[in-house]
Amino acid sequence: MSEIKNAIHEFGQLERLARRDQWVNHIHPLVLLGLTILYIAIVVSFGKYELFGLIGMGLYPLALFILADLKFGECLRRLRLVLPLVVFIGLFNPLLDKTPVSIGSIVLRGGWISMMTLILKGFFSVLASYILVATTPIVDLCRALRKIHVPQILVTQLLLTYRYISVLLSEVSRITQAYQLRAPGQKGVHFKLWGPLVGQLLLRSMDKAQIVYESMLLRGFNGEFREGRNAKLTLTDVLYGLFWTGAFVLLRRYVIIFLVGNLFV
Amino acid sequence: MIRLDHVSFHYSNGPQVLKSICLSLEKGESVGLVGANGAGKSTLLKLLVGLVSGFEGEVKVAGLSMDKKNLAGIRAKVGYVFQDSDSQLFNNTVYDEIAFGPRNYGLSEEEVKKRVDEAMEKTGTAYLKDKPVYQMSGGEKRLVSIATILSMEPELILMDEPEAALDPRNRRRLIGLLKGLKPAKLIASHDLDMIMDTCERTILMHQGAIVADGPTDKILRDKELLESHDMELPLRLQNLE
Repeated sequence: MSEIKNAIHEFGQLERLARRDQWVNHIHPLVLLGLTILYIAIVVSFGKYELFGLIGMGLYPLALFILADLKFGECLRRLRLVLPLVVFIGLFNPLLDKTPVSIGSIVLRGGWISMMTLILKGFFSVLASYILVATTPIVDLCRALRKIHVPQILVTQLLLTYRYISVLLSEVSRITQAYQLRAPGQKGVHFKLWGPLVGQLLLRSMDKAQIVYESMLLRGFNGEFREGRNAKLTLTDVLYGLFWTGAFVLLRRYVIIFLVGNLFV
Repeated sequence: MIRLDHVSFHYSNGPQVLKSICLSLEKGESVGLVGANGAGKSTLLKLLVGLVSGFEGEVKVAGLSMDKKNLAGIRAKVGYVFQDSDSQLFNNTVYDEIAFGPRNYGLSEEEVKKRVDEAMEKTGTAYLKDKPVYQMSGGEKRLVSIATILSMEPELILMDEPEAALDPRNRRRLIGLLKGLKPAKLIASHDLDMIMDTCERTILMHQGAIVADGPTDKILRDKELLESHDMELPLRLQNLE
């Protein structure tokens, strides 16, 4: 139960993070969104043995964590459910891929390299998405999506799903609280009650979701986004976007850790 | 402001919830809507903003007939305060919540800010401006949900049990606030003492029909009328022994 309360709290914390007065938080949401998509696309485009080139892409999350004053430990804690999944994806590569790959004078089984590449790709993509969510409020993001003509129905769907998560979590919290108060000493919910409890949860959250939607309609919501920032693109936004686009291209083209290494040889 | 002519309503395959309701409400009037649980008060309020459809009879709100093409126009002139503020508030901060309506009506950000500031001042919620909604108390949520409709500068305010879950101090504050609001008001409530303090006219509903409509002082002092419709006298008029 306290886990659910924590989840509700976390949910609010993430939104607060996005609304802080950091320099990066003021960059136009469209630029941040575009950069995130571009970053993930480039990260994914690395070949399965291009591990060293991929490591260089870590520069973006590293810089953003510093610029946006985000805490890495906090991020790992929030992503604790996703990260094992990312590791799991590449787990069988060492068994399946036996191609020999040489790194300098060392010859390794290709599976190990491709596993690490795959894990790193997943990790960087998740980090980039976290950075986006932690620097841009969801309404600003939705507005940005509408600006690039993403269909209204999809964007509304996204925003409402986001809003209903907290409605759903509050309902789960209420139901489990009521259950536990009348079932002391029980760990979790007895399986015989799973059905009715989930059914109740579904009906109640549908009810609540309906009220949320009605209250949006009554205050003039017609599917178009007028919430969130409607900032105009400034020169800083454009320069910021161009800088990172250039950096991504260079990081994709050159293996930065070799270049840096050569400086010391 | 409101004209209802023989309005009846039932949910599909359900019993009659509203029975031949005739009602009118003028500009600036403050009217209490009372009745036992299940009398049809909430349904009537929802019908006035088009949240329930498929009724019989004629409904006119703010000079517009209730039909699909007039819905947006009606809703722009009517503020509706839900019974459950928790579900009514869905934005992350109080400012965004109060600004939601004005923004949807396409006002400039400058005008939106002016409206939000005014609504917060009227409801005394300025100190909550940047507070996340989920961290507020029940009383604060109620006042914010009233501010969300005041920022739309409505001509008519509909309230469904606005005093629910309020502590005595916040309840007193709400009464003061309601008394100071200029738009016409239709307030559904079980708090008869609050209705006595805020409404000059009261409508009594019973099993989906209006059984009495007149001055609050007359209706809420009529013990026989109230008790015959599953109600009681307001607390202040009861002989507490």
